[in-house]
Amino acid sequence: MSEYTDDRSLPRAARAFRLNLLLQRFALVAAILAVWWAAALTAPHYVLPGPGRVWEALRLIAGNNDLWANLGITFARVSAGFAFAALVGLPLGILFGANRRFGVFFEPVIPAMNTISSAIWAIFAIIWFGISNATTIFVVFMTAMPLIITNVWQGTRTVNADFIELARTLRMPQARIMTKIYLPTILPHFFSGARLAFGFGWRVSLVAETLGSSSGVGYRLRQAADLIQTDQVFAWTLALVVMMATIEMGMLRPLENYLFRWKKEAGNA
Amino acid sequence: MDAVVTDATQPAIALRGVNKWFKSATGEPLEVLKDVAFEVPPRSILALLGASGCGKSTLLNIISGIVEPSGGSVSFGGVPAAEFTGWDTIGYLFQDDRLLPWRTAIRNVEFALEAGELARAQRRQRARAALRLVGLEEFADAFPYQLSGGMRSRVALARSLVREPRMLLMDEPFSRLDAQTRALLHGEVLRIQNMKHMTIVFVTHDVEEAAVLADQVVVLSPRPGRVREIVDVPCARPRDPTHPAVIAYIQRLRALI
Repeated sequence: MSEYTDDRSLPRAARAFRLNLLLQRFALVAAILAVWWAAALTAPHYVLPGPGRVWEALRLIAGNNDLWANLGITFARVSAGFAFAALVGLPLGILFGANRRFGVFFEPVIPAMNTISSAIWAIFAIIWFGISNATTIFVVFMTAMPLIITNVWQGTRTVNADFIELARTLRMPQARIMTKIYLPTILPHFFSGARLAFGFGWRVSLVAETLGSSSGVGYRLRQAADLIQTDQVFAWTLALVVMMATIEMGMLRPLENYLFRWKKEAGNA
Repeated sequence: MDAVVTDATQPAIALRGVNKWFKSATGEPLEVLKDVAFEVPPRSILALLGASGCGKSTLLNIISGIVEPSGGSVSFGGVPAAEFTGWDTIGYLFQDDRLLPWRTAIRNVEFALEAGELARAQRRQRARAALRLVGLEEFADAFPYQLSGGMRSRVALARSLVREPRMLLMDEPFSRLDAQTRALLHGEVLRIQNMKHMTIVFVTHDVEEAAVLADQVVVLSPRPGRVREIVDVPCARPRDPTHPAVIAYIQRLRALI
């Protein structure tokens, strides 16, 4: 219902609030830059490069395709690991939720997996897969999968028995009950699990690439650090932060808002 | 379509000697319904009236086929339940609206058609017609959270009518709404029943609701649920619950319950 979400229908006060918030964000970025710049004046550039130097380094790696190629490689690995995790985690989560005995039996595995550090997975991955794409993909997979299973599992517990009864009175076949009632109920849980898993995936992918890869952002970060190109370390970090923020705010949040627009929010009740 | 043709001269629904036992928590059989028998003439409205614990909801579920009776028989238009194939001609209206929150009003109505094989465009068309019938066509694209309690009940009513049922079963309908909205929806159900010539069976613990809506009231007594008496209410419609004739029936039913 567009009239409920359209900006034009927002009261004047809400628009003023948004403008105010935007100004505050600009002020925050300016303040951080100023502190950074001032701090950089007191330190050698290989310890703390200033904003100007980092900007030059960013332009350098962006100019010779270094940035895009390695971001692309890491993104592909994270996506692959994440996709496998979703593919395995969604059905397993539903299975654990649907079958009590199964769920009770496997329950301890999830927290046990969560306690294993991604560095340990990375070491195992190097032993098993060597220096290859599979190493990073494996680490992302092992980190993301338990998160997705846990969330989907919890989602299955929120399926409303009344809706199932409704479907039964309509004599709806079991397969359709799965797709028309279970799936929409689980989807928000799956989505929040997937978002969490994707974020974790990015972080652990860098660890994996630092240890067991000859390409990707993590590899380049370590290389720049080894060569004491501190300005490039900063540049890579900055590029990552911008990319993650773009994915989060430009893709995931709008997608979530669209998919779950049926949820009653405190603001539009 | 129907493999066995129902007979219009027979009662729309007939129960004979219906029993029901449930296994209680201690494992001992619990008798919920005992020797229940009544007939519902075609196009009439029958109320199952009783206090809580008299098994009236179980009885409705037995009629709708969700619950199997332990003994006795149910038949529709002279056809025994086991041979009956017209289950899609029975609509069911729950106590609460049970709208799927992730679907818009019209998609909720369409839900009732999604057990069958109707094409998408036809589902949409029939759902729109059902919403029009309950006066909610302009709210077709609203999500349940955007609707009031009364409107949500209307959507649920449209959902139970969209398959054009010949029989409508209602389990304490609209009992969670305020008295005014409820009276409004009662009027709506009567209007639609008159238009579509449906047979209606509904469960209630509200004596006034039974007297205002029903042609026939089956009064049940509890533990185990049995038929205490069947009362005909021949008053003309629309019935005013403050009219002396209606009040007389309300008092008579109240004495029985």
